[in-house]
Amino acid sequence: MRTVITGVGLAVPGVDRPADLLGRPGPAAEPVDVGARLGRGGLRYKDRATLLGRCAGLDALTGAGLLDGGELRVPADRCGVVVSSNFGNLDTVCRTVDTIAAEAASAVSPMDLPNASSNIIASTIAIEHGLRGPNLTVCNGITSGLDAVHWAASLVAAGRAEAMLVVGVEADTGPVRRLLGTDRAFDGAVALVVEPTAAARVRGARIRAGLGGYARRADAAACLTALAGAGGRWEPAPAGAALLALPGAADRPPTGALTRWRGSSGALGVLACAASVGWTDLGGPGPLCAVVADDGADAAAALTVRAPAVSW
Amino acid sequence: MSWTVAGMGAVASVGNTVEDVFAALCAGRSGLRELGGFDRSKFAAQTAYEIDDRPGPGLDVPRRATRWLVRAVEEALRDAGLPEDLRDVPVLIGTGLRELRSVELWWGRGTPLDAGDLHFGTALRDRFGATNTHTFANACSASLYALALGTDLLAAETADTVVVAGVDALTESMFGLVERVHRVPPDRVRPFDRDRRGVLMGEGAAAVVLRRWLPPHGRSHGTVRAVGLNCDAHHVTAPHVDSIAAAIRQAHDLAGVKPYDIDLVMLHGTGTLRNDEAEAAAVAAVFDADVDRPLMTAIKSMTGHTSGASGLLALIVALRSLATGRVPPTLGLDNPVEEATLFRFAPGDTPGGTTGAASGDAPGGTTGAASGDVPGRPLGGFTGGLSLAQVNAFGFGGLNAVAIAEVEPCGP
Repeated sequence: MRTVITGVGLAVPGVDRPADLLGRPGPAAEPVDVGARLGRGGLRYKDRATLLGRCAGLDALTGAGLLDGGELRVPADRCGVVVSSNFGNLDTVCRTVDTIAAEAASAVSPMDLPNASSNIIASTIAIEHGLRGPNLTVCNGITSGLDAVHWAASLVAAGRAEAMLVVGVEADTGPVRRLLGTDRAFDGAVALVVEPTAAARVRGARIRAGLGGYARRADAAACLTALAGAGGRWEPAPAGAALLALPGAADRPPTGALTRWRGSSGALGVLACAASVGWTDLGGPGPLCAVVADDGADAAAALTVRAPAVSW
Repeated sequence: MSWTVAGMGAVASVGNTVEDVFAALCAGRSGLRELGGFDRSKFAAQTAYEIDDRPGPGLDVPRRATRWLVRAVEEALRDAGLPEDLRDVPVLIGTGLRELRSVELWWGRGTPLDAGDLHFGTALRDRFGATNTHTFANACSASLYALALGTDLLAAETADTVVVAGVDALTESMFGLVERVHRVPPDRVRPFDRDRRGVLMGEGAAAVVLRRWLPPHGRSHGTVRAVGLNCDAHHVTAPHVDSIAAAIRQAHDLAGVKPYDIDLVMLHGTGTLRNDEAEAAAVAAVFDADVDRPLMTAIKSMTGHTSGASGLLALIVALRSLATGRVPPTLGLDNPVEEATLFRFAPGDTPGGTTGAASGDAPGGTTGAASGDVPGRPLGGFTGGLSLAQVNAFGFGGLNAVAIAEVEPCGP
């Protein structure tokens, strides 16, 4: 079954449109103001990653036309959520052990109970919109975001859902800074809506890009070999995350377009797919191959993304 | 469609292999012990179902979950007669708390932590050469969610063999937060009992090798017929009866079975006040007039709540029960909640065994008839060996997963 991207949501500082993800970094942007975007309701007792994820998720569902005036346009039990985040709830975990060490378990906040479980982002978004289909949280290292898009497409192809919201998110918190040895960590979320081509057509949704093959292998080269098709082999991948074109493509995304997102961890793969949508929004020719790799990582992953051509 | 379980591996507080765990559970042995790795003065609850492998009292070491996961996968591969080479095999791991205990030790005590240790693929690549690995943090239904995705890969013919696993180690943060919501600290897990006080966490890992087809002379423990998945989208911790019932019905529909066909139900049964009642009400609603037919049991009464590992651990126990006719008792269940009064809880091993029932832990006692025969209650058409099992797993955020497993009566 062919699957397509019909919605993109962004909660990334300094980024307004998917195509902005391909541009050069501007002056340091202000952090995303989650309160301004979500309104006052439901902000309490939620960690920042959950709030960032909600911002992006809301925009993707709305952009795909699945949410209309707060009403869901697909059966609630046929729409699910996949979240990718490696560090999303580390702040709750670390704050809680600090409290226990300084005082005792009796001093911790019971409101933190759900936040101690790493699936809190996905379950909160499901509750917000009443999405009762499969609900999955992928915590899979550097490839996590691409893996999440793959599992969303897989759930749709298996007939377990008619639409899946995919959210990649990380938050800039104290524990993340210490773990990554940085004084400023990625603080944002990117979301996509994935659904079958046929369903998108029936809904009259705007198809932003089509999803193709996926591979998770030892390194980028092995992924690209696995994804080589009738169109030929992909051009070699540079180090780190990249958007590749086929050799001989009339035009291609700027080399190193994804370099500045290298630290976005669980958000990176979803961000790479959104950047592909940005490329096709600009009229760039497809297909592209989003590759996520990094030195020392246990594996690399790659996913092909096609322009919304007539054949879709 | 159905998928062959070609190999199984398990580690829990009650045993270090599938056979050890199954024997301990059938014998009604609990893994409950004094808290091993935390400063006990900080907690009201003093016990949990931990794996006793720490260097000493109060001493904790990182990456224990990773070690159990590797051991469970090793056992499952050996059991399936496969080499310890997973280069071309997808490995799907369900977990509630990942390596968050290692994060706590790093943050609080300064033990080294690499970001790559947070997901299990790093260790699985080192040990088995695996690169197509996926860590899913899906709370207490994580390993059955992973099982569902594994069967989807086989159905799509993306793979001929997949390894599905589940693992969890206690975290201080979750243990402390769960304790905070209990009125009285529980001293043990008593699923479905009116006097239950709540949940205590347990540790464990489970792994299965699933195959699309069985090679000649290949091993089979039975099959996975289907796994149903949904989400309550209702509350971050409180369960939802209708949604749980929908997940059970979905699993039955996908497997092409009716409640009447189910011989054994492995209940999620955490001993939590609201969860047990919600699960019992959902099971009663789906099974309706047949609710007194299948045998039922809740192994968390002996393993504690092994969180993300629990669903797959229960599946493994279910397959052993179907193969042997022996079903572990629900320890500490003396007086079932109203919603479960018609349930036919397994009494544990019958004559010849020395078990839960003998120690007064199961209702009814035994009659000398086949395992599971509770006096005073008709068997409701139960006529032969056990063949079909339903395995429940429900998690925070309303993540529901229900698996249907089968062992052919004639035996593979």
